[in-house]
Amino acid sequence: MRTVGRAPARAGRALLAALLVAGLPALSGCGVLPPMPEPVPTDIVPSAPVALSPAAGGDALSPDGFDAVERMAVRIRNVGCEELSTGSGFAIDDHTLITNKHVVADSRGLEVSTYDGHDITVGATSTAGLADLAVVRTTDPLPSFPELAEADPEPGDPVTVVGYPAGGELTVTRGEVMGSTRDPLNANLGEVLLTDAPVEPGSSGSAALDDKGRVIGVVYAKTADDNSLLVPLSTLQDMLADDTAFTPAKGC
Amino acid sequence: MTEAPVVTAPGPAPAPGPRRGSRWLAVLLVATIAVGAYLWVTTVRWQHNAAQWEDKAHEYAQEVASLRMQLDAAGSELQAARDQLSTATARITDLANEKAQLGDENVASQQYLDYQTQVSAAAGTVASALGQCVSGQEQLVGYLKEADQYQAEDLRRYEREVNALCDEAERANQALQQELRP
Repeated sequence: MRTVGRAPARAGRALLAALLVAGLPALSGCGVLPPMPEPVPTDIVPSAPVALSPAAGGDALSPDGFDAVERMAVRIRNVGCEELSTGSGFAIDDHTLITNKHVVADSRGLEVSTYDGHDITVGATSTAGLADLAVVRTTDPLPSFPELAEADPEPGDPVTVVGYPAGGELTVTRGEVMGSTRDPLNANLGEVLLTDAPVEPGSSGSAALDDKGRVIGVVYAKTADDNSLLVPLSTLQDMLADDTAFTPAKGC
Repeated sequence: MTEAPVVTAPGPAPAPGPRRGSRWLAVLLVATIAVGAYLWVTTVRWQHNAAQWEDKAHEYAQEVASLRMQLDAAGSELQAARDQLSTATARITDLANEKAQLGDENVASQQYLDYQTQVSAAAGTVASALGQCVSGQEQLVGYLKEADQYQAEDLRRYEREVNALCDEAERANQALQQELRP
């Protein structure tokens, strides 16, 4: 009878030992006992940096520290038949400038300079019959040119004017579009835009830009209450699309 | 032949309680030792692991401190470069404006010089016309002093020509004076 009773006892002890050997890792895996530590990695530096945000002021980078809106503006000196006058203009491609018709009128020669004082050699000049607009072709390449906006701005939209008021330094002024109105000077067919961005004589031909730096109009006059008048983008686009809209300018 | 049944005398039964209890105690002891050993090994390994992490943390902390110093220095240099760029662009704008103003003055001076040249040329023409007028009048006076030697009709014709020349010179002179008036 004793021999009969010992066999199950031995089997029980073996089972217990097996449970102990196999059960410790299982217990540790279940969180009852702490697991063995993972080996310390040799390098914990991530291979690719986390998303970096630009440093403060880093969005103003340009080839020479000037904004794109400054780089596309030009100063126009009209050596007239009898007198001298100055105006502004802006590039719309590598060799084409847009300005006002009255800026290039009665000219014996045009002298164009950029934001950094470089002189640009001018080629043919043509003026529009139905708007105060002129196109000046240049022989030298222009440093920068903006995009045209998709549509005319709405009242309340921000506007930035970049030009050479009074023939002085390159100046950037800001305001809002106030609406459209009839042209008080009758220099343009259709309605023109009224803004409160400050301009001065000499600002004529300046580009008016939206908040994305796209052209929305061309400054051509100033009202008695110090508001500015723009040839709207739609008029500019219509004129540029019409091959007969511009005719060679008459000099002295 | 039949065998007699085996009869065993009933003896005292073995006491199972204490032996079975000691077995269980032994098993428990073994289990406790095993768990203890496991915990000891685990602790030693965690200590070693923690020491390695601490070394690595110190290493990276020193690297971070060094990089922070470099970043501060680079930030200062960047700010200084931005200031210099701002100053340079402002200076470029000033120089471009000065050049433009000088160009305007140059063109205006050239236009004034052209005007003065035209005025001088006109003054010379007027002076020449007035001189011719004076010469003609002197010539006329000379003719009139010896009027008996000339035909009266010729003298009147010459007088009309001199008067026309002088009138034209006078008109040119008045136009010049008008132009020169401020």
